[in-house]
Amino acid sequence: MAKHRGRGFATIEYPTGMNQNGDPSQAWIKLKPDGRVDVFAGTVDIGQGSKTVHTQIVADALGVPYDWVTMDNSNTDSSAVCTGTFASRGTFIGGNAVRYAAEKARERILDIASKELEISADDLEIVDGEVLAKGAPDRKISIPDVAGAATYVYGELITGNGTALKPLAEVDDDDGSVTVEPHSAISYAACVIDVEVDDETGETTVLKMLQVYDVGRAINPTLVEGQIEGGAMMGLGLGLLESSYPYYPSVEHRGEQFGSYLAPALEDLPELENVILENPSVDGPFGAKAIGEMANNAQPPAIAAAIHDAVGVWVTEMPATPERVLRALDAKREPRREGKRVIYDEEISVAGVSADGGQAFWGVDA
Amino acid sequence: MKAVGARLPRYDGIAHVTGRTQYVDDVRVHGTLWCKALRSPHHSALILSIDTTKARALPGVHAIVTHEDVPHNVYGHLEGLGVPADEPLLAEGDVRWKGQPIAAVAAESEEIAQAAVDAIEVRFEQREPILDIRTAADPDAGEHFHQWGAIYPHFGPHNHRRVRKGDVEAAFDAADVIVEGVYRPQAIEHCPLETQVSLVVPEPSGRLTIYSCTQAMYFSMGVVAAHLEWPLNKLKFVGGTVGGGFGGKVDTATETICALLAIQARRPVKWRFTREEEFLTSSTRAPWHIEIRDAVTKDGWILGRRMLTLHDAGGYARFSPYGLTKHAFHHTGAYTIPNLRFDGFVLFTNRVPTTAMRGFGVTSVSLATELHLSRVAEQLGMNPLELRLKNANRVGDTTGNRVVMHDPSTVVVTLAAADAAGYELGEDYRAMTSERRSGDLLPEHLVAQQAPDGEHLATYRATNGGAR
Amino acid sequence: MRLTVNGTEHEVVAPPLTTLLHVLREELFVTSPKAGCQQGGCGACTVLVDGEPRRACLIPLAAVEGAAIATVEGLGEADELSGVQAAFHEHYAAQCGFCTSGFVMAAQALVVRGDGAIEREEVIEALSGHLCRCTGYVKIVDAVTAAVRSEVTTGSPA
Repeated sequence: MAKHRGRGFATIEYPTGMNQNGDPSQAWIKLKPDGRVDVFAGTVDIGQGSKTVHTQIVADALGVPYDWVTMDNSNTDSSAVCTGTFASRGTFIGGNAVRYAAEKARERILDIASKELEISADDLEIVDGEVLAKGAPDRKISIPDVAGAATYVYGELITGNGTALKPLAEVDDDDGSVTVEPHSAISYAACVIDVEVDDETGETTVLKMLQVYDVGRAINPTLVEGQIEGGAMMGLGLGLLESSYPYYPSVEHRGEQFGSYLAPALEDLPELENVILENPSVDGPFGAKAIGEMANNAQPPAIAAAIHDAVGVWVTEMPATPERVLRALDAKREPRREGKRVIYDEEISVAGVSADGGQAFWGVDA
Repeated sequence: MKAVGARLPRYDGIAHVTGRTQYVDDVRVHGTLWCKALRSPHHSALILSIDTTKARALPGVHAIVTHEDVPHNVYGHLEGLGVPADEPLLAEGDVRWKGQPIAAVAAESEEIAQAAVDAIEVRFEQREPILDIRTAADPDAGEHFHQWGAIYPHFGPHNHRRVRKGDVEAAFDAADVIVEGVYRPQAIEHCPLETQVSLVVPEPSGRLTIYSCTQAMYFSMGVVAAHLEWPLNKLKFVGGTVGGGFGGKVDTATETICALLAIQARRPVKWRFTREEEFLTSSTRAPWHIEIRDAVTKDGWILGRRMLTLHDAGGYARFSPYGLTKHAFHHTGAYTIPNLRFDGFVLFTNRVPTTAMRGFGVTSVSLATELHLSRVAEQLGMNPLELRLKNANRVGDTTGNRVVMHDPSTVVVTLAAADAAGYELGEDYRAMTSERRSGDLLPEHLVAQQAPDGEHLATYRATNGGAR
Repeated sequence: MRLTVNGTEHEVVAPPLTTLLHVLREELFVTSPKAGCQQGGCGACTVLVDGEPRRACLIPLAAVEGAAIATVEGLGEADELSGVQAAFHEHYAAQCGFCTSGFVMAAQALVVRGDGAIEREEVIEALSGHLCRCTGYVKIVDAVTAAVRSEVTTGSPA
């Protein structure tokens, strides 16, 4: 009969790094005789842009122009361990590995420069590919000259290697407690979603998504936007369109092509407004935290809350397909009240379907 | 600083727009054979016999592998994290999900490989599939297909991941309202544009070069090495550039089988999933079943939470115990709740094993707990943002695992969103910060959970460094 | 049979129902069009056939005898990108890059037949059969809109 507008909200958090740590990333760097920089990192770029971000980190950690740096993550003979591109660890842990490697290489550069300039390394700095005396920038030597001297005079290959690794945080199996912080950082985000719900067809159209992300430090703001936008559409799919098992828990009628599995398409694109905040981490590279994984977490609850705001029903089984919205509208179920308890969704709960009220789960030791 | 913070162009941007970026399927090696797999047509069945005789006789077939050809068939991806192995590379004795690989063929063309697959004869004895995690552990559920039973039993001495803090029963007694709800986020596909693919090339030295779409080169190399019982230096993984992953390209779905075929055939072997194979047989995000009971006061304090989570692992454990543990660590979301009881279970069902996908473990927390808070706000007649701001993580607050918050941003992002979206908020809420709780923001029930000023867990500040 | 790809004539020997995608990738080693689904559902295999964007995975070789096929390889190179390529690079319209070739060729067709004026809605309509899983589409729409309107600093990117 009518289309109704609604708005929903969600605030979320997400850890950086593998849960409980113990996931190393290693990198190493060498300088060519002309001062150009080769980085060997193990972080796989799945599109998020780790090759770009790590190059930026190395450029600034060393003090050289960005285009002096080449990035090789292509094989396991030349690159060292990076546990993997997951758990939102690529920028923080992978980035710290290349940063530590760059810092070690920087020490070697300053050591050779100090010999050449006869100035203590503590009194030198590197700016734009040149080693300068602090306060007396006319006393200087270029990094290409430093690398040439290393190669042909001092007999040294300028390298640096670094490992980022937080020790494993053991968990107490009885109460879940830890004594070592089990992540590298925590990122936060908030999301406001406006929808329009058609109460005759059950269809929900997402009109706008406002997303706020605290990423610690946006090493490359455009790549951060890419994560926000890509994650937004994946979250929209998770909340409204996609299901591997449309009749879960049945395994029947799975979609096996793009026509029958509804991945978000261009026509689903709402208006997006992105806000990037920087509340730096204690020890991420240049204060960075993470965003990659959490980028699709806030949308489903915000969409569900917006649907409730629009048409007064709570859909708690994702995706909120038109069928689920219509069934909820038909049922118009109010929660059961028992004393001070307000009880929703009993019909789909464990107690509602299990032969013994789910004793295997509810009956474990307190 | 010049580069950090700058909108510098993508390192690989020019290669992408000129069509030069090389993905695994773009690599051309002379003599490459194509791989196809024989997959289980049943959701759950015993394997009585496998006969590859007719398949081997087809012209153009160069290699066929079954479980007998795998030096170490049952290997657990998370053995290093205490999760015992339960999953065979190639099915041995039974199949537990429709699509589970039983055998694989390397042949001159995809068509010949598929014909050979179709010529492999397998006798099955079907079993009734177990599909509903809510009832899989019922007393009348009958025998379960998994050797560990319906429920993963290796969370230390327990069959569930536990969080216990404070006194949740006292919190329920003290509450004005208890809001209870059930949340069921579902399985979805990673659906990258590039399907699973690998190309394994035997080198003259006896090493294998493995072109892989993996998101984790050394992780996948370790998996292949473990199955082959080889040292790492006999393998060279080549990759680092992937056509989308989202968590679905960690499972090392094709590399080991291609390696076994390449060794047998002494030829390069490529396996590229069809899109149908990707949709129907590649691992998915997990379905979850989450029940939350929150004890709240009428002025919006969340005194305690009791939460029950069931996680659908599918046929085998894979990364599910890790995902559930991460879920447990974050089950309070961006808020401070002092009294907690969390019980999380990993259940085995006859569907494709579930795996990591973007947000692993916490996506389900965000869906369930944020939607639940929206309901709580409605029940209390409270502004949903003010409810969140009041209970937000603050410096010195502790989580369910006793992590001490040193710099949370719940308040910051919530206020920024409120501002940008034009939400009405009370003055005192607009003025909130993340600083240590005190005064009205430190009621009696939050005192015990607050860590002493300046105290933190070990290594909250990392002192990582490189080698000397 | 004869096939012209990016201006070069090729003699191709393959069964007539072999898909154009297979011929391009496996016989001619033109690998920019990708095998995303092999069912016409994703657009990653899109090439231009006599100027029209078509799904190479659905076209049998026999149907393109004598046709002029254009792929990304024929548009421009690193030191001289075409307008559409420069727009995609400048607007960060590619993340993993796997869908990019298909989008670029569809955009190229739009640029060639357009008159420089276009609205975002028209861009979305024209590209609607193409899927991307990484970018969320925003920067792709930005890039194509800019390319059609020629709002691109042509030549080398930023």
